[in-house]
Amino acid sequence: MMQLPPPPPAVEAPAPQRSVDTTQQVRVAAAMTDARVMVDSSFRGASIVLYGAVFNPTDTPADVVVVVRGPDGPVRLVKKTRNTGVWLNSRPVLFEGAPGFYMTASTRPLSDIADFGQLRRLGVGVDHLRIAAPEESRTVTRYGVRDVVVSRLGEDYLDYRRAVIRLREAAALYNSDPDGVQFVDQGLFRAEVDLPAVAPTGQYFAEVWLFQEGEPVSVSNLTLTVEKVGIERDIFEFAHRRPWTYGVLCVLLAMFTGWVASRVFRRQ
Amino acid sequence: MDIYLPIAEVSVNWPLLVLLGATVGFVSGLFGIGGGFLMAPILIFLGIPPSVAVASQASHVVASSTSGVINYTSRKLVDYRIGGIMAAGGVVGALLGVELFRYLRLLGQADLVVALSYLLFLGAIGALMLYESLGQILRRVRGEVTPHKERRRPLWLYGLPLRMRFPRSGLYISVIPPIGLGVFVGMMSAIMGVGGGFILVPAMLYVLRMRAQVVVGTSLFQIIITTAMTTVLQSGRNQTVDIVLSTILLLGGVIGAQYGARLSGRFRAEELRALLAIIVLLVGIYMGLELFVRPSDLFSFAPGVAQ
Repeated sequence: MMQLPPPPPAVEAPAPQRSVDTTQQVRVAAAMTDARVMVDSSFRGASIVLYGAVFNPTDTPADVVVVVRGPDGPVRLVKKTRNTGVWLNSRPVLFEGAPGFYMTASTRPLSDIADFGQLRRLGVGVDHLRIAAPEESRTVTRYGVRDVVVSRLGEDYLDYRRAVIRLREAAALYNSDPDGVQFVDQGLFRAEVDLPAVAPTGQYFAEVWLFQEGEPVSVSNLTLTVEKVGIERDIFEFAHRRPWTYGVLCVLLAMFTGWVASRVFRRQ
Repeated sequence: MDIYLPIAEVSVNWPLLVLLGATVGFVSGLFGIGGGFLMAPILIFLGIPPSVAVASQASHVVASSTSGVINYTSRKLVDYRIGGIMAAGGVVGALLGVELFRYLRLLGQADLVVALSYLLFLGAIGALMLYESLGQILRRVRGEVTPHKERRRPLWLYGLPLRMRFPRSGLYISVIPPIGLGVFVGMMSAIMGVGGGFILVPAMLYVLRMRAQVVVGTSLFQIIITTAMTTVLQSGRNQTVDIVLSTILLLGGVIGAQYGARLSGRFRAEELRALLAIIVLLVGIYMGLELFVRPSDLFSFAPGVAQ
């Protein structure tokens, strides 16, 4: 009845292929209902079900944490400051890389599952997600604009970091659900991954961690591809590969529509 | 009923967009303007990224203006000569404006400049227009005669070199003022996403002193060239033109514009101007408000370089 998901690759030393019932080790395996999410003209976000199983459960209670990370990209932020009664933007600051999507779902609040240091080391949880920042402050100049790269050791690093997380949470791009993983049967669990319509396209990585007594005992890795398909993809690629032709076409289309409208309405 | 916009990368309710296009088209037909100044703020309000809103709705202005120019041409009310000269200035202005806008976006200051431009230009034009049209309405109610306007032409304008004859506009002036006007409007078109009719029409009437009958048709002609240029440049340089968004807006827009134009004959010109002035003023204040109100979040994302 239940089809076993294909054995996922392990993150650390590649585990030897063992059949499920001979091993004594606690292990977690998971799969998703969709490995590809198609973004087409009717795309309004997607909900993907991640399901998995814990093998060889022991008496020690186990917790499951699902982490889904979207493609990394640079993030530029501005901060508004008040100058003589007018709110103005500061110079942009740049984070070298932050995930475009990040969610965690777990059986309990993360702080109950593992301690701060453990979560920080694994990069699990919105508060612990890795946002690339160099140790020393520097500036980069691109297209004639000087950006200040946020330094990990700078005094306002935390403000900017929290702002990235807050803004992305408001856009439903970052999310943490302490009840997101539910056990539906003995050792069998499910979680939902909700992608908003603004989710970036690209390769997503999902990690399913199994924790026992605050220690990660097993992990299962999955990937998910979000891509534009159909006419949306064609338009997007056309607009980026041949931007000038695309622009001319837009204008011709607009002029043609205007001409048709004036013809149609003159006859009436 | 939602549709995903491939360039804006958001999902929006398309009947709402058609309705928006029709409403703005109606307003533009009623007042004889492009309506860009109204469209861009509403699109931004609906959650379309500002750079995409400004760039995509320029092609909406192209469509409604094309429709208008065809109508005015059949009545011989377009001066292609002066319109062409202004359009040449407009193309230069659009080139400068798109580069400036690109730089400002990267600096994170595009919002500020857009808000400030709306506040200054719409505020000033709206206030002037309201003052002038209310004065006329009041005089009519009191039964006074409109004072005869002095037709003396400003010396600084007519003393310039490179004079040319524009028979259809009844002008013999230097080409420098029309080119300058074109450059200015072209830059505005790139930064604010507007056609610039609300600046062009008064400038052509009161500064260049063109014949009133050809002013609207000629300004629409110059607007087509400038906004067409802006659309191509925004697309080529910034890839911010969303053809799906602009097509949806177009569909509603061209229909709305025709009904607006029909209804406009039922109102007095000064009443229409007073109404338009109020709308212009309100949009200007609304857009400028963000400069003075404490933002709900001090931080915001700036558009990236490689996103």
